[in-house]
Amino acid sequence: MSNLLFSTDHEWVKVEGNVAYIGITDYAQKQLGEIVYVELPEVDDAFEKGDSFGVIESVKAASDAYIPVTGKIVEINEELVDSPQLVNEDAFGNWIVKVEMSDLSELEELMNSQQYEAYCEE
Amino acid sequence: MKITVIGGGPGGYVAAIRAAMLGADVTLVNKSKVGGTCLNLGCIPTKALLATTEKLQTIKDARDFGIKVNGEIEIDFMAMMNRKNKIIGQLVSGIEFLLDKRKVRLLNGTGRVIEKNKVQVKYEDATTEIIDADKIIIATGSVPIVPPLFPYDRINVFTSDEALFLEEVPESIIIVGGGVIGCEFGQFFTKIGAKVTIIEMSDQLLPFEDPDVSKQLLRAFKKDKIKVMTGEKIVKCEVKDNRVIVHLENGKIVEAEKMLVSVGRRPYLENLGIDDVGVKLDKGKVEVDENLQTSVEGIYAIGDVVNSPFLAHVASKEGMVAAENAMGGNKTVDYRAVPRCVYTDPEVAAVGITEKEAKAKGIEYHTGQFDFRALGKAQAIGSYQGFIKIIVDKEDKIIGASIVGPHATDLLTELTLAVHLGITATQLGDVIHPHPTLSEGIMEAIHAVHNSCVHAL
Repeated sequence: MSNLLFSTDHEWVKVEGNVAYIGITDYAQKQLGEIVYVELPEVDDAFEKGDSFGVIESVKAASDAYIPVTGKIVEINEELVDSPQLVNEDAFGNWIVKVEMSDLSELEELMNSQQYEAYCEE
Repeated sequence: MKITVIGGGPGGYVAAIRAAMLGADVTLVNKSKVGGTCLNLGCIPTKALLATTEKLQTIKDARDFGIKVNGEIEIDFMAMMNRKNKIIGQLVSGIEFLLDKRKVRLLNGTGRVIEKNKVQVKYEDATTEIIDADKIIIATGSVPIVPPLFPYDRINVFTSDEALFLEEVPESIIIVGGGVIGCEFGQFFTKIGAKVTIIEMSDQLLPFEDPDVSKQLLRAFKKDKIKVMTGEKIVKCEVKDNRVIVHLENGKIVEAEKMLVSVGRRPYLENLGIDDVGVKLDKGKVEVDENLQTSVEGIYAIGDVVNSPFLAHVASKEGMVAAENAMGGNKTVDYRAVPRCVYTDPEVAAVGITEKEAKAKGIEYHTGQFDFRALGKAQAIGSYQGFIKIIVDKEDKIIGASIVGPHATDLLTELTLAVHLGITATQLGDVIHPHPTLSEGIMEAIHAVHNSCVHAL
């Protein structure tokens, strides 16, 4: 978890060059409960930081997932379409989208793992 | 009083029966089976087919409900079609029975207005008969629109008329138009195993409804692996080697075995002769006054030929009103509470005004919303995607509602009544709703209008 960055909307970001893998945190999946569907965007869709890029639907709620960085979707995790429970099983091991970032400075606004843990306890 | 009705769909046959009940001597001229598009090519056959895919889905979901299903599950295509045909047959004879008992003379031929008081009936064997009529009611309905862009060969490229008579599951199909017909057929074809692409010109499915409603349906379609392309314009379409190839304005190419064109319907007035007797048309539709009388005294028009929603229940209501007016009444139709139903999974149902319409008209409103997910009954039956949204005006009067979710079309009636009677959210919120039912969601959404919803934060 130490190599990840976090948003206040409970998304995690793993950076590789100018590409970011984005998923939801373990805290988020616990809050949501049993996930029944992950609505994914399309490859090439472009989003501004803070836009909803998909919906995580659980038995308890249907929550928008907000993109923590501006960019273009380069890959989606299609495995989640048929096996959404993977997010429950391993939230940090299952990325949802891969984004080509257009503004790397946005990463500076995200939290590190210690900051995020403190944020969840608030 | 002699009344002749031309067209035996849900407008015409209802008008004929109502007029007969009021004592008229009624002749109904109808060129094919009674029941019109609704019963023979629309509402009923599609619902019969969707009932098959719903059963199939139930079996596929069985494991989630603690049932082990062993062996192969597959659609028996012809058995499904035969079941649909049998249902149509039964309902057609049901209407024929009613017409017969009400002493409506049913003539199986094509009607043409030749004078203000005369209708010529042309039979299949080319013989003709002239009927004298004191009053005439036009109810000839509508046909699908096929823009010339599409090579409509009825084999590879077809409309809903032909889609109901396919003999096998297509491998893939492009559906042009994401309205009610396109959405229902899209999901039907997916569930029977075809690869479906819906291409819609506007930026959402069900363009008439609010975006939040449409978004729910889009999510369900994505779950079903239907490819939905919105905001796309088709510039070219061709059939080559039994494949339909579509070129989009942005350069993309989409290909499939078949294509269903469902971009809308238009009034069917060909060879009806009404313009010759002076009936005025406006943009291809028959102009009527609030009593549904045309510009020619004694000639009425109802249903899809006039400028009102293309819906069977609207045609039926208009049929009753026109019949009463032809018999000396002074009735009008109240169009404020016209229910709109879409039989997708989840179903979509709405009545009255939408939020976007309220915004466009500058009507002050607020909403109350409740998710099905929070209802015990929805969880118990395992169908919980969607919500109920109520729209009230500044006097608290319910002026519109949208439901997307389980049994939405049946649940809508309570809200249709509310809009029709002008009931307030406070009044409806006082009504005890039974537990556990999906109708509790309506109560909760109504309470949400005043932020007094117990089961939501």
